[in-house]
Amino acid sequence: MHRFHRAPLVFLAVCLALCTAGAATAETPLRRATLEQLCEKSVGPRVEAVDRLLTATAAGEEDASWTFAILDAARSKGLHCGKDAVPLLKLEDGWRDAASLAPAEPPEQKMKPPFVNLKVRASLDMGAALSALLAAPGSAAAESGLGEIEKRPDRANSAVIAAATALSENAPFVDRLGSIQASLDLASEVPEDRIAAIDRIAENPSERNRTALLNLQAELGGKADPVTRDALDNAIAEIDGWIALGAVASTVYSGLSYASILFMASLGLAVIFGLMGVINLAQGEFIMIGAYATYAVQEALRAIAPGLLDWYLLIAIPIAFLITAGVGCAVEASVIRHLYRRPLMTLLATWAISLFLINSVQAIFGTQNLEFATPAFLGGGERLIADFIVTWNRLFAILFAALVFVAALLVLNRTQLGMYIRAVTENRDMAGCIGVSPRRVDLISFGIGSGLAGLAGLALSPIYNVNPTMGTNFIVDAFMIVVLGGVGNLYGTLIAALGVGMINVVIEPLYGAVAAKVIVLLLIIAVIQLRPEGLFAVKGRR
Amino acid sequence: MTLMKRRKFLKTSAAASVAALAAPALIARAQSGDTINLGCLFSSSGTMANIEGRMNAVVNMAAEELNAKGGVLGKTVEVMVTDPASDWPLYAQLGRQLLQQEKVAALFGCWTSVSRKSVLPVVEQNNGLLYYPLHFEGEENSKNVVYLNSPPSSSVLPALDYLMSEDGGEAKRFYMLGSDYVWPRTINKICKGYWTSKGFEESAWREEYVPFGFSNFQTLVNDIRQFASEPGGQPIIVLTVVGSSIPAFFKEIINQGIAATDIPILGLDVLEADLEGLDTAPMVGHLNCWAYLQNAEAPENDTFKEAWKSYVGGNSLPYSPETVIDPMVSAYDGVMLWAAAAEKAGTVEVDPMREAFPGLTFDGCPSGYDIAMTGENNYVSRGVFIGSVNDEQAFDILWQSDDQPTPVPFSPYA
Repeated sequence: MHRFHRAPLVFLAVCLALCTAGAATAETPLRRATLEQLCEKSVGPRVEAVDRLLTATAAGEEDASWTFAILDAARSKGLHCGKDAVPLLKLEDGWRDAASLAPAEPPEQKMKPPFVNLKVRASLDMGAALSALLAAPGSAAAESGLGEIEKRPDRANSAVIAAATALSENAPFVDRLGSIQASLDLASEVPEDRIAAIDRIAENPSERNRTALLNLQAELGGKADPVTRDALDNAIAEIDGWIALGAVASTVYSGLSYASILFMASLGLAVIFGLMGVINLAQGEFIMIGAYATYAVQEALRAIAPGLLDWYLLIAIPIAFLITAGVGCAVEASVIRHLYRRPLMTLLATWAISLFLINSVQAIFGTQNLEFATPAFLGGGERLIADFIVTWNRLFAILFAALVFVAALLVLNRTQLGMYIRAVTENRDMAGCIGVSPRRVDLISFGIGSGLAGLAGLALSPIYNVNPTMGTNFIVDAFMIVVLGGVGNLYGTLIAALGVGMINVVIEPLYGAVAAKVIVLLLIIAVIQLRPEGLFAVKGRR
Repeated sequence: MTLMKRRKFLKTSAAASVAALAAPALIARAQSGDTINLGCLFSSSGTMANIEGRMNAVVNMAAEELNAKGGVLGKTVEVMVTDPASDWPLYAQLGRQLLQQEKVAALFGCWTSVSRKSVLPVVEQNNGLLYYPLHFEGEENSKNVVYLNSPPSSSVLPALDYLMSEDGGEAKRFYMLGSDYVWPRTINKICKGYWTSKGFEESAWREEYVPFGFSNFQTLVNDIRQFASEPGGQPIIVLTVVGSSIPAFFKEIINQGIAATDIPILGLDVLEADLEGLDTAPMVGHLNCWAYLQNAEAPENDTFKEAWKSYVGGNSLPYSPETVIDPMVSAYDGVMLWAAAAEKAGTVEVDPMREAFPGLTFDGCPSGYDIAMTGENNYVSRGVFIGSVNDEQAFDILWQSDDQPTPVPFSPYA
């Protein structure tokens, strides 16, 4: 998927610099009529103006860069109109005359962009995308325009597609342009063209193309010749197969991504509750602090090194971990340390801490959702099979969860510190006897547990709302996963998260999200009834 | 024995903590006979916190404005703030406390219909007055509630008409996605009745609900994409999820690359405040419908926005000084309408005030429309706006009504 929002602006600046030079051909009747109509309030004339302009541009009667400049400005509130005034373009570097694109004086009277409603927007977006193929063939702007056209190929202007295919610079896109042309050829009256188009479309399976073929089938009815009918049947059958495969892949991917979120949210708790036995109700707030630390890193980078802004998520990894671990250690040393033998008091105390943290963050940052910039490498996704889209930010969450899991396992099983933690978990007094300081190990384990929650906050920030109360959404799920997986076992947590995530996404489309939640809870109760210690119980200090 | 002790301890400590939570919420007590108290029922915690919290502030701001002009009936107006913590039964409990113990003259509160339904018996038993600032599903006309915002006939149906018109893209298929409670379910029922009356088949729509606070919309957005690609004409989404689910849903929509020109979303509970924290450039063109939009062109609106900005700044409140939303304006209108009723009745007793309602008007509403109560019911007639998301985290005005349609509480389509 391509995002068609930013790239053209850069391109527009370049284009304007080039084309104003040769724009002595200012006021043609076509330009005057187009601008007049684009300035109208009603929808019909504006859509008509775009269509006429595109056809003229494809025929070489209008400069493609002017077409693109005008259509792109009109859809992004750049085209300004006023009563009895010459339409102007307002660009980042100042005002320009719309007909000639030559620099102009700022208007004296009040001018404003005509309101773009959905219908006009669809027409302008399509027009800008099509004209980009002619104005800057082969460029990145043309490619992102192509992505836009592919969403509704049946509405493309076939003259422009043909003209764009003829340009040698568009050679890299010939295949994609061919697919778009095929969508248009479906309406062709020539049977050979139609059959070729059907075969071509079958190569690119998606629900939309299936609908196009079904519509054609319904339209032709019994009139179709046997060859066309067979071609249609085969094409639909082929697409159906791919769509089914895409649906399975999509379910697995959704399940994995939900599981990764559940797992990240519960990993810290698996250490704090699982290994140490502390019922920490402030765990959700550690997640929230991790997200706010990520936000702080983003803002700091924005101020100090804007060039690194795209990498803030990676830069924030150690910082979110350390800040949250620091808060966790402070909480452990000041409150929880004194309450290890009184679990009920820990429960109340951590609840108080949770309220305290929520309110402090509210006082400092306010209650509103924080805005996170989506780094270029996390925006959008890629269509893999039929309608199955791999969205990059979910993939990031999955990979990040996997990496953190491996890192946590390595620390617990391969380092001296991990050995101490396990020793204190299994037998606190004995570990103390052989020279491990249980107090220090407690402090460090609590720090690691809260640091992991901080990393969860980081991983969640591109996906979820970040506000002071975000943590309360995760605390119940986190306890559920840890208890289900069996306390004191990271593998158990992983498998419980995967199980709950997968079951959820399988049930959701069948019975709805509300029922899915109920069914998952019932399943968990059933499992706990059968295995009170969770799926994978380990002997601990309880 | 230990078990007993523990249980008892758990009970007492739980009770103590609830009391401890509730107590500081009600500190602003009536000091003398020279004050009139108003009560607020808006959550500052839980899933509704981000959006309901600022409502307390706006009621306070309106009260200050009244006081600066000499108060109401020569008395100072004081506002008591509570935190029902997005916990619906707690709204009723705190409402009862405000009416019975604090003797407030009127309540301003509730966002979700489920919280209003829980307060309803309380105001009816105690003969109190609740000013409710949200547009909602209608189908209710209690003499103890003043419905400050529009029922579906003057908000949702005009918006659907627009989307089904030629200019709006001729919507033919409808995906209804809502939080699972009374407002979305009733709205969707009304919508379905409306579409049936327009000749649509049942196959033209699909209906899905999610729990409160739901945020994992991946599967549902997949489902929406599939629905949208099926034959039958232009699809739209009628979105009635509330609270933190709104931005979560939009994030996933953006993520999967769905633009308003592909599938327009009519977000019935979507406000300027829900767009905070979102990059709205890929969302441009999605719609909402309210009785006020931040970009309404009216001198009253400029005054109101300026007042809010300086109020937030002056009291260093944790809310965005630039964001003004319809329910804030409605709550402000409500305080002004309450004051007008009190002045007209010469008392803050509920029964005489109710008799003062017919013909009550307020011409300072920031929407630019003069608003009025008809006397036929407890609704307020307001103007209608349809908004379209722009790239500055706000809504451009796509359409606005010429006048203020008469509110119809009970829909013929339900």
